[in-house]
Amino acid sequence: MKRATTEQLRTFFASLQTEFDVYVPVKLHDGTRVLGSLSEGPLALEGGKIPQKPTSVFFPQFDKVFVVDEQSKFQMAGPVAKPIMVVGFTAQDLDCLEFIDKFFSENYRDDIYFNKRDGSVVVGVSGRCGKDGEFMKIAGGKCDIELIYDGERFVVQAYTDKGRQLSERLVAPDSEAPAGLMDALSRESDALPTDDEDTIDKASDLIRAGKVPEDFWDDIASRCIACTSCNLACPTCTCFEVYDRKQNGKMVRQRIWDSCQLDGFMREASGHNPSGRQMQRTHRRIHHKLAADVERWGHKTCMVCGRCDDVCPTEIGMKSVCKMIVERFS
Amino acid sequence: MRRTLTTCPYCGTGCQFYLVTNGEGKLVGVEPSSNHVVSKGQLCVKGWNAFNFANHPDRLTVPLVRKNGNLVEASWDEALDLIATRLKEVQDAHGNDSVAFFSSAKTTNEENYVMMKLARAVFKTNNVDHCARLCHSSTVAGLAATFGSGAMTNSISCVEKADCILVTGSNTTEQHPLIGTRIINAVKGGAKLIVADNRKIRLANFADMHIRWENGTDVAFLNGLMHVIIKEGLADEEFIRTRTEGFDKLKEVVEEFTPERTAEICKITPVEVEKAARMFAGAERAMIIYSMGITQHTHGVDNVKSCANLAMLTGNVGKEGTGVNPLRGQNNVQGACDLGALPNVYSGYQKVTDDGVRAKFEKAWGVQDLPGNVGLTVTTAINAAADGTLKALYVMGENPMMSDPDQHHVRDALEKLDFLVVQDIFPTPTTKLADVVLPAACFAEKDGTFTSTERRVQRVRKACDPPGQARQDWEILADLARRMGYDGLTYSSPKEIMDEITRVTPIYGGMQYDRIDQVGLQWPCPNRDHPGTPVLHVGKFARGLGLFSPAEYRPSAELPDDEYPFVLSTGRCYFHFHTGTMTRRSRLLDREERFPYVEVHPDDAKRLNIHDRFPVMVSTRRGEVKALARVSDIVIPGHLFMTFHFEEGAANVLTNNALDPVAKIPEYKVCAAQIRGV
Amino acid sequence: MSVITKPLRRETEHLYLPIPCKIVSVRDLTPMEKLFRIQMPDGQELGHKPGQFIQLSILGYGEAPISVASSPTRRGYFELGVRNAGTLTGALHHLSEGDEVGIRGPFGTFFDVEKLAGKDLLLISGGCGLAPMRSLIQYCQDRPEEFGKITILYGAKTPSERLFKEDLVDWARSPAFACKYAVDCVPGDGCFDEGEIGLITVLIPPLKIDVQKTIAVIVGPPVMYKFVIAELKKKGMTEEQIIVSLERYMKCGVGKCGHCAIEHLYCCLDGPVFWLNQISGLRGAI
Repeated sequence: MKRATTEQLRTFFASLQTEFDVYVPVKLHDGTRVLGSLSEGPLALEGGKIPQKPTSVFFPQFDKVFVVDEQSKFQMAGPVAKPIMVVGFTAQDLDCLEFIDKFFSENYRDDIYFNKRDGSVVVGVSGRCGKDGEFMKIAGGKCDIELIYDGERFVVQAYTDKGRQLSERLVAPDSEAPAGLMDALSRESDALPTDDEDTIDKASDLIRAGKVPEDFWDDIASRCIACTSCNLACPTCTCFEVYDRKQNGKMVRQRIWDSCQLDGFMREASGHNPSGRQMQRTHRRIHHKLAADVERWGHKTCMVCGRCDDVCPTEIGMKSVCKMIVERFS
Repeated sequence: MRRTLTTCPYCGTGCQFYLVTNGEGKLVGVEPSSNHVVSKGQLCVKGWNAFNFANHPDRLTVPLVRKNGNLVEASWDEALDLIATRLKEVQDAHGNDSVAFFSSAKTTNEENYVMMKLARAVFKTNNVDHCARLCHSSTVAGLAATFGSGAMTNSISCVEKADCILVTGSNTTEQHPLIGTRIINAVKGGAKLIVADNRKIRLANFADMHIRWENGTDVAFLNGLMHVIIKEGLADEEFIRTRTEGFDKLKEVVEEFTPERTAEICKITPVEVEKAARMFAGAERAMIIYSMGITQHTHGVDNVKSCANLAMLTGNVGKEGTGVNPLRGQNNVQGACDLGALPNVYSGYQKVTDDGVRAKFEKAWGVQDLPGNVGLTVTTAINAAADGTLKALYVMGENPMMSDPDQHHVRDALEKLDFLVVQDIFPTPTTKLADVVLPAACFAEKDGTFTSTERRVQRVRKACDPPGQARQDWEILADLARRMGYDGLTYSSPKEIMDEITRVTPIYGGMQYDRIDQVGLQWPCPNRDHPGTPVLHVGKFARGLGLFSPAEYRPSAELPDDEYPFVLSTGRCYFHFHTGTMTRRSRLLDREERFPYVEVHPDDAKRLNIHDRFPVMVSTRRGEVKALARVSDIVIPGHLFMTFHFEEGAANVLTNNALDPVAKIPEYKVCAAQIRGV
Repeated sequence: MSVITKPLRRETEHLYLPIPCKIVSVRDLTPMEKLFRIQMPDGQELGHKPGQFIQLSILGYGEAPISVASSPTRRGYFELGVRNAGTLTGALHHLSEGDEVGIRGPFGTFFDVEKLAGKDLLLISGGCGLAPMRSLIQYCQDRPEEFGKITILYGAKTPSERLFKEDLVDWARSPAFACKYAVDCVPGDGCFDEGEIGLITVLIPPLKIDVQKTIAVIVGPPVMYKFVIAELKKKGMTEEQIIVSLERYMKCGVGKCGHCAIEHLYCCLDGPVFWLNQISGLRGAI
């Protein structure tokens, strides 16, 4: 198994730019880390999860559904000209990706999503490169390649044929991982505390068992300012709004990320609104991921990435709310 | 994909984010900045949607000139030559002060500077003002009189350091969402919160006390607090002795405001007055946060001075977690004031009436005879247009038809003008009346700086090209100046403008672009080595000693009576911004609030047979407006609340053009109204 | 008004691409509602089942879910009964014969006529709910032999606000149906001699139904369900015997946009037609 330095990886990613539209974690102007192209800033594999949801590469905030040109001809986007390669998924992010792949393909296949997703290469990042040096859980699959940081270099673990073919092209001389390194890293990963996951499991059970009273949701809702950040940061949130806009003689049907925390999200033209109270929307935000999706998909759809907690200005993200639920209603 | 770090174009909180531009050069999203001092990777719903209006097909893209009554497309040359010729004709015929300029709190510092320089150096008039007149002119006047500097004394980060927060006349979670959330978090962390506001705003849910006084009785309430504080020996005597003057006069005035008398005026209980006074004065660090609910009154300056008095009385100025903190409503209303888009001062609040200051600017700008008389304000300019003394008006990025009080009066005034120029990004009710309409670039299409409510000067960066032939505001103004024969407004970039600003504006002396590249600095920042000033008046007030400026209670100009039995108050909602020009063209924001509405208490609704979501007619002595009823106990009985975002239900048809005698701010918060079902 | 003019193939791989269809007639139903008769290109059938909906597009105005108001047994066209309530429906009301609209679908669950076969049917609708119900009523009208006794109950606010007034008369005359109509009130000096004055619930207690053999179908405004269901339960009917069709704000019609979720169910995929026992415990369903 190869190990590569950040610089070797940078060279490797750069060499793939002719074949792929390459998204990697980069550090922007003021130090914010995002998934961007190598030209946008220095490669920043270390530092933990990317604040922005990495699934946005396949399901961006804004997308075109179709364009109707001046001659009333429809133009639908086809598969992207260059396949996408995206580096920077954490183990939790890969769980999220697995779910939204399923979500967008089941029943009806969302071709706009798969135009980008099909043929893509997904690279995970894990190991000793979390925020403040924390260990990031090793995914052990669900991606083409995983880069596992051992404190000095990234162990390059390929899980698919495509991943293996690509990683063979990575130039990293004399870098074979010493015997036992992966075992040691795996043990470290397995030993990570699962407190957050346990809290969310417990909260899910309590919600599903009907143990969480209505006034709890009222209390949480009073702190929600409907900023919508929780939804927009969540890698398993897939809701979108569709609208038409004329642009330079063309008509563009477009979709943008939507949020179930908005009053208008379910409001009908008649004014009737099944989620017309903030409490109902707050309840939905938590209940949907921890109970409704368990009914529908057989599992929770919060993968405990923590992004909603990071972006919530009033500290009522998933982890915070679940902690309160467990403390109060166990 | 490209990402550009810039500053939010909505409220004055000053959040920064990255605009995402796609390969076609179009805006396709927003990403928060994880490291920004205020936003910290978070945004409110308007911030998240700030990219969405820029591509709207309604954007103005070509200059328009009125011909035979219709606005028709014209070249830039034709439009600007016409403006130069007509403005000159008007001034030749009626004098320099027959022309006025409305600058804009939406445009950059550099553009405000260029606008005020154009007015003064080229057109030789101090008739330049902007919409701060309508929001915080009372703050600028009131705090300048008491402290010597008319701006937020502390930083946003101070909210979490306060032990007690008095929020009055600010619906903070809706109007300054990320500041509002800091207040919620401070309360969760143990701070006391007093909300003095008769609407049941979100913060009221968290308040230790929610005092629902009668609108417009602010001075009485604050005097009542001070009465109790003095009487009970809770005042900070050392602070009063060493840092202030005029205490005896304050004591004399507030003497009469016993809890009983205060309660009677404010329609609250004496216990509330006493309890609030003790809570505020008893805190180690107490902070006052206010906004339009304090300023938009005929006694707005008195309200502000009373807030300042309370802070000084309790020693809550000049240290972290305290202060008098007016929250500025617009992204750059602080900057527009700082840069002298005001009729009485140049940039950095340097007075036009001061001979030395004028001489300095004459030298810096290479001109002579800068005018020394104080010019017209936004509100008095409209009145002057109505009575025929103002003949021409140049409006940049403002929409007085929607934003100024008494819309019929504004329409009459604008129609009376010989010549009206409006420079904007979208058609508005004001552009409809213009003789020339100039298409401008929006925040995403230009470089420059905005100054946030905490006096932080931050970069604005160009993320995409303006649509069609639209140009940046400063370029348009500079082009006009050249056509007027003045070459002192020729710049290669906003950076060059800022360099000039730093040379002539002491408080901005150290604001060079390289210094504010990543994190903005807070003024005063007099030189390149200065780290900026998070807290004002530390150790010493800007004016030396703080001046207690007691005020007597004066009732609002128009009180309810039998014919108009309700108190109507106006303001904003969370999802829309001001006249709705941008937010009503942003899909999700528009979807949230689609129709004009009026909040009415359930008791009143029941009595008048008004039903939730059904149309009603709201009328005042100025006119009537149709809106949907929102039956809610957010308002107290006898009170109505409307937002001014909706052209089709314009609240400012109703409002009263009664002005504060000093600040000339209109009384948007109180007028007498009537409501009926239709 | 821009409408789709280029015909497109139906069997597209693009989920969100509408098919251009021609409006062949427009008829006023009430001052607020119109009936649009629409034809698919090249003589195709829509291929829907009673109770399904389509996504209707008008370019520049967007897309909205509309229930099909005609039965698949009426061939060569389909009909939509639409209230002028929002942006898209407002634009639709300005279109006329010969104009084109975009159609995606049909989508969603339907009134499962195989499961209803041999049963007595109690078809209860209120206001605009008659539009989707009409697809089932027409089906029953064309194939009465498949069902037992069929009772139609319809309520509206006022006589003039009733949809499909001619159909209502027709159905009342038809031996295939027993019809009972109601209006909430009769404004001014108007009169109503086709039924009761009162809420639709007044029609239920006098009914003689064979509880074991009856299936009730309810379509109406949100406030109606709870009260009608309560009356039916008083009659001894269970949740397994009641079908409801629900309406929700939708953007995609195919289970992606998320707006129509009722807990774990999507109104567009798992509905709009539900058995009551599927949804009765779910928050915000009824």
